[in-house]
Amino acid sequence: MLQRFKATELTGRERELQGEVRAFLDAELVPGTFEPGLGMASEVSREFSRKLGARGWLGMALPAEYGGGDRSAVERFVVVEELLRRGAPVDHHWTADRQSGPMINRFGTEDQKRRFLPAICRGELCFTIGMSEPDAGSDLAGVRTRAAKVDGGWELTGTKVWTSNAHNGDWAIVLCRTGEGGDRHEGLSQLIVDLHAPGVTISPITFLDGSPHFAEMSFERVFVGDDLLLGTEGQGWAQVTSELSFERAGPERWLSPYLVVEQFLREHGPSLGEEAVSFLGASVARWWGIRQVSLSVARLIDEGQAPSVQSAIGKDLGTQFEQEVMARLQTLVELEPSPGSQSLFERLLARALLVAPSWTIRGGTNEILRTVIAKGLR
Amino acid sequence: MACRRRPVPGAAGDGRPLQGLAVTDELLVETAERVFAHACTFEAVRQAEEARWAAEIWEAAAAIGLPWISVPEEAGGAGGTVSDAVAVLQVAGRHAAPVPLAETGLLAGWLLAAAGLPVGEGPSTVVPGLPEDDLRLEGGRLTGTAHRVPWAGAAERIVALVDGQVVSATPGEAHLEPLANLAGEPRDTVVFDGAPVAAAPAPGGVDGGALRRRGALSRAALMAGALLAMAELTAGYAAQRQQFGRPVATFQAVQALLVRVAEEALLVDLAVQVAAREADRGDAAFEIAAAKILADEAARVATRAAHQAHGAMGMTREYPLQHLSRRLWSWRAEYGDASWPRRLGDEVKAAGPDALYRLIADGSRAAATA
Repeated sequence: MLQRFKATELTGRERELQGEVRAFLDAELVPGTFEPGLGMASEVSREFSRKLGARGWLGMALPAEYGGGDRSAVERFVVVEELLRRGAPVDHHWTADRQSGPMINRFGTEDQKRRFLPAICRGELCFTIGMSEPDAGSDLAGVRTRAAKVDGGWELTGTKVWTSNAHNGDWAIVLCRTGEGGDRHEGLSQLIVDLHAPGVTISPITFLDGSPHFAEMSFERVFVGDDLLLGTEGQGWAQVTSELSFERAGPERWLSPYLVVEQFLREHGPSLGEEAVSFLGASVARWWGIRQVSLSVARLIDEGQAPSVQSAIGKDLGTQFEQEVMARLQTLVELEPSPGSQSLFERLLARALLVAPSWTIRGGTNEILRTVIAKGLR
Repeated sequence: MACRRRPVPGAAGDGRPLQGLAVTDELLVETAERVFAHACTFEAVRQAEEARWAAEIWEAAAAIGLPWISVPEEAGGAGGTVSDAVAVLQVAGRHAAPVPLAETGLLAGWLLAAAGLPVGEGPSTVVPGLPEDDLRLEGGRLTGTAHRVPWAGAAERIVALVDGQVVSATPGEAHLEPLANLAGEPRDTVVFDGAPVAAAPAPGGVDGGALRRRGALSRAALMAGALLAMAELTAGYAAQRQQFGRPVATFQAVQALLVRVAEEALLVDLAVQVAAREADRGDAAFEIAAAKILADEAARVATRAAHQAHGAMGMTREYPLQHLSRRLWSWRAEYGDASWPRRLGDEVKAAGPDALYRLIADGSRAAATA
């Protein structure tokens, strides 16, 4: 029997949090005063990240003793959906809050936790993910970046690519080979690398929408101290798998085109024909349903489960839907959108059309996820 | 809520719903699962199509009161909530149960109880209320034609909403033209010509819109069950069907199909759970529309993937896939298909862009506080 999703809803406490977040963001993010992003691909604003940190809305699920909120995945969900649906500028803290902080909390030494977690929770640090390489994308075990043992630490050499936000980054958690194992999944480790250290070169890779979203990070014998090994040497594969496995089905997987549709309604509402109205109805229905799936997964995580198959399902459903929305919207809009248009709808539409193909690729390309899901169906 | 027991031996055993004891949702679902799994064999479902009635399946369900769940006990029903009725319908859908389960309690029973008319025993059916119907009530007599009435020939009463009245008619007083949907389930045209009927005013809130919503919820529930069964059937088939020296489920292209069916089934299942929960709290217009829209989309997408994964075997009447896919294609069109995205879209347009996310996140609750 297929494992079914369980319906859940927000508790009174979670609704209170939701009310606070909505009120805060209504006041902070006044439309017209900032350039909204498309879900998690948004602008960098150190100031905004700090403000969120000051409200206790970063590192929410991290322990209070390190500056976190001791909060749940659902509470984080409540905050994240409000941020992303407004196109809030979250880029500076996004990876740190979402992945790096929880990784350091799970596998880090006491020193590492004290060193990084409070700053992450304050929204001060920009972390980037050092995993993909030119020859290792979906097949992550094929990474060739190596770290050779030296006195007091490691010397890191290699190249990481498709790294989001590396040009703004303070630190990167880099998956590298520190030993030889019989199996290519052995001998991998994770190092926390200072991106301002000598030997680090960051070159921008222009994304399809013209933004410096991606970068290549090359490491030429970069020294990384022993105190910056994350977790256990040789356990990098297991650590990375846990990092990727169940944090996949969040609001960032289905909110990318949301603002495009909201703005479509705002700028074209009165003149919408029957087809457009049906599109809105069908899209809202599916948004509602996929959000329920995503919330259900967050609840499972809070119950202590590791719902890797359900998360993969959420990600596959959500990202495909994101692209379908853009495909349908495109046929309804009689417009040749310009990225530099005066109309916010046109700017968002142009950008979304350019970057939509990435939605099903990033975060674990859907074809690979489907093999994971298929195994879970047996 | 009320617990169903088997009738006391020696009692009338006439399918009268039982009242009085408490049981959990899980027990109810397990019981329904046992009953339908046992009664809805491949042969039984197949034969129902020819015979136009599955007496044994009906008796098995009726004996433990399943058709009357959600009808208040005071009115002669089995008690329980809309969520309970929906959960049972999901099980019925899983097993392609060819009986008017939704019609008897959730729809007809609801109308009758609301108007203070007797709920009665045996199967009931309800007139869905299509635009081409032209029923009218004159001096306590019913005239006109009702279309797509499920199992009108086997029902003991045909219930309809006419001019603000709940009307209960006897099939014997009407002329029936037997028709069926794509799954061979009877969907008769019923012609009344001055038939004497019982009638009583429908209270506020019991109107065509409410019937359409409740009907849509019933179909979404049946579809959710059928989709899950189809996902499991497809995964099972692909795991054992060998070609080129290995199970076809080991081919990535086939895995993608299996995943497509499973994902749609799980999404619709969750949507129906939430819609049922909200329907116990209010009219749940948003959630029911959304659940039906998702079920209707799944009925297209998931059946295509399931049939593709099954190859030629799925295209024969000798194999159970078509018991599920033909029902999905039929139920998709019942109680509205294209009309739901339009209705929900009108609501979205009227609510405006500032309310858009609230609708997505809070559904009916957002509409209520707008």
